[in-house]
Amino acid sequence: MTIDELRARAGERKQTCAQIKKMIVSRLDLPIEPEWISDDQPLFGRGLELDSLDVLELYVAIEAEFGVALYDSDMSVFGSVSRLADSVNPALRTAQAAVA
Amino acid sequence: MESALTPVHPEGTVYGQVLEASVPLRYTTTEAEYEAIRGRAAVLDLGGSRLVQVRGSSAGDFLQRVLARDVEYLTSERSTTSLILDETGAIVDQVVVWGREDGAILESSCGAGTRLIEYLRSQNADEVEIVDRSDELTVIAVEGPYSWGVIGRLIDSELAALPLDSVVDTQWDGADILFGRTGSSGEYGYKVVAAHETAKKLWTQACEHAVPAGQDVLELAMLEVRQPVVRHEAPAGTGVLEVGAGWLVDITKESFVGRDAVLAAFAEQSGPRTIGFRGGDAVPAPGTRVLAAGQDIGEVVHAVYSVGLGAALGLARVESDLAAAGLDLTAGDAEIETLTSPYVSPKSWSIPIV
Repeated sequence: MTIDELRARAGERKQTCAQIKKMIVSRLDLPIEPEWISDDQPLFGRGLELDSLDVLELYVAIEAEFGVALYDSDMSVFGSVSRLADSVNPALRTAQAAVA
Repeated sequence: MESALTPVHPEGTVYGQVLEASVPLRYTTTEAEYEAIRGRAAVLDLGGSRLVQVRGSSAGDFLQRVLARDVEYLTSERSTTSLILDETGAIVDQVVVWGREDGAILESSCGAGTRLIEYLRSQNADEVEIVDRSDELTVIAVEGPYSWGVIGRLIDSELAALPLDSVVDTQWDGADILFGRTGSSGEYGYKVVAAHETAKKLWTQACEHAVPAGQDVLELAMLEVRQPVVRHEAPAGTGVLEVGAGWLVDITKESFVGRDAVLAAFAEQSGPRTIGFRGGDAVPAPGTRVLAAGQDIGEVVHAVYSVGLGAALGLARVESDLAAAGLDLTAGDAEIETLTSPYVSPKSWSIPIV
């Protein structure tokens, strides 16, 4: 890949991540700017401190926003915004994510 | 600084220096200890961390000012993990804050305790009492997908099911201990703060139920779930956003040391960012240049061999528009691929506490 192709690929992931962050902040009514959430920060436990009720809310939101049903997914899908991006935009999926 | 538990460590323990602390790096092999922390239960001597008690009538105000996370409502039954920043927004340390009725106990990162105490004292306009309790207290952790079983057998099964970041003052073997559900590997985790002699007994008994694991495996497990290891990721002057540790900062909090600098950096949205990578036969050294299509875009910050991935795993600090997963880059002579976090999914995420 050329540097421009790499930048474009990175840009596509960042765009999907930005869309996910906006959705999370909006649907869960978080008092922060979406950009404050980093692509790699944990979403549960100490990260964004989401709980199981938040997950249910996100299932519905993801299906509405991306047309992807994650109801039977294992929790690692929510490991980070970037990991979630692999699920809602399969074009981004890395070999690592496929194995996980 | 040497751990109070050194006399009861197994024969053959390999020690190493982490900043000011001499700590157990390995007790047996990295592979065996990794299997314990990711597959069963590991017991960890965290005696390289200092325990700093902050107390007094102004302790609450002082802590709220120096900690980047909101501790206004932190009771003696809760803990939290927070960054401490200087005025420029650079990371001083990452601490576990154990809420206490008259303030808090701050657990420093490994080997960084003296620096933390000096910093706290430099900020002490409130005339709070800042006491290093490490000469009398130490910390033991139990982490792993079945660590709750160890806690049940060793202390109390009810404590094993506490919500994350809960803290309980209780007793073990007739002695007062501070028990918390907290950890850093992404697996179920618990910590006990106890007097040295009590801790020695607890450690010895814990080793009958769990595998002792050293600093090497703990830091690997932290890296795999993107839990910052400050000494590797934040050399002097490194900011929160560069490290990607904004989640350890409550930016909605009205005021804390470093807030203005963090907000300014956030508004600029410039500078390098950190991304995880895997690949290469050898572990690249910090400072190894990272290239994208032959162009220099940054450097390796920290890398180790990941038992879980069976490959080198590391963090690189690169131009922000290329700090994304799924890119094929090079680090030195090695081909690497950038990753989504967590790099290894904790087994605890799919195992209930029973």
